[in-house]
Amino acid sequence: MSCELYRSEMYAWRPGSDTASYQALFEHLADCPECAQLFDRLACADERIRYTIQKFPEDRSLESRILARLAHQRTQTNDRRGSWRSWLLLPLAASVLLTMTVGIIPRLREARLSREIVTLLGTAPPAQINSSDQRQLLDWSAQVLPGFSNLPPELKKVEFRGATVLSVADHKAVLLQMKNERRASLLIVDALLTRKSGFTSVHEKSGSASLWSDGRRTYVLLFEGSVQEMHTYMVQMGIYT
Amino acid sequence: MQVSDNAFDDWVRQYQRLLFGIAYWWTGSRSDAEELTQEAFFQAYRSRSTLRDIEAVKAWLVGILRHCYSQTRRKDRARDEVPLDEMADETGDRDLLAPDILALHQSLARLDEIHRLPVVMFYFQDLSYREISEALDLPIGTVMSRLSRARKILHLSLTTSHKLILVTKVKAR
Repeated sequence: MSCELYRSEMYAWRPGSDTASYQALFEHLADCPECAQLFDRLACADERIRYTIQKFPEDRSLESRILARLAHQRTQTNDRRGSWRSWLLLPLAASVLLTMTVGIIPRLREARLSREIVTLLGTAPPAQINSSDQRQLLDWSAQVLPGFSNLPPELKKVEFRGATVLSVADHKAVLLQMKNERRASLLIVDALLTRKSGFTSVHEKSGSASLWSDGRRTYVLLFEGSVQEMHTYMVQMGIYT
Repeated sequence: MQVSDNAFDDWVRQYQRLLFGIAYWWTGSRSDAEELTQEAFFQAYRSRSTLRDIEAVKAWLVGILRHCYSQTRRKDRARDEVPLDEMADETGDRDLLAPDILALHQSLARLDEIHRLPVVMFYFQDLSYREISEALDLPIGTVMSRLSRARKILHLSLTTSHKLILVTKVKAR
């Protein structure tokens, strides 16, 4: 290899380089005083540059300025995340509201209705109107229950002897006493207080009750007796088959 | 890769001097170097999830600094030479008026960008050939050949600059 090529290689060498890779160069330097002199000059110049390049104006406040700006940027990001979180909370709040509406609120209504049924089974209020005229009783009830004209088909066979207006779970209601069964009465509530369209029967100490809905109103058959007795009566009247 | 804020702040403390130093010799301007260093750290913070190997953080940061520098250069193509007078005025540091420093500034300013960027990193000692090649996104062989060429030019230029500065000083007396 010529001196020219070794001189090119000198520029690739740097302190700390792998000596094995530059073995040929160092062997040549040992034999060539001219190249060795050039290499020394080069090393000196490098050292001077390395020393000089480290002397630059340092700004001691730069670090704190960068850190302060980063902290500021993080705060802004957190604020933005916070506002995004608020937006993300909206659907959550809506779903909670929906759950309340669809799930919890009806359950609460049903629970309240059950409590009031228990009260009615224990102490039935006296009739405000006594009549054996079915039409008269239904018309009287219609004054309390808007849009009410006729009984649903399952109650077509029943007849009443008296009626009372009352409030059940903050809703207007009419309690109709059965003509042929003194233990039975029918509560019609002008609200959907049960989600079930079918019959749900309950038994309390004072009696039994069967609840259902026609999609608009809630019907409750109150019976001073066991569930079995109530079911027998319901089958007899064609309410329950 | 997940990098915590505390870990990133530690990198700022550890590498801000390196980044500022490199930027200073690249730009020849203290204020430009400060701006570049800050911008590099902000860009690095925003893209910290792209760091693949924590061991390569130094080269990664210098790579981002180089990217910021390229962006700045694109915006300001008109400025091809380091304004030495302006540089001396803005530093306010008497040491910076030393002949060695002025000569180095002058010589680096004469280098074109493809040589100036690696040679500054080279003399900073903190960066290996591999780190320089990663930071510049170039093959290691290209980096070595550019460095070799840059060092030759720099050595020659420094000898000339020294002579010029010494002559200027003698004339001034």
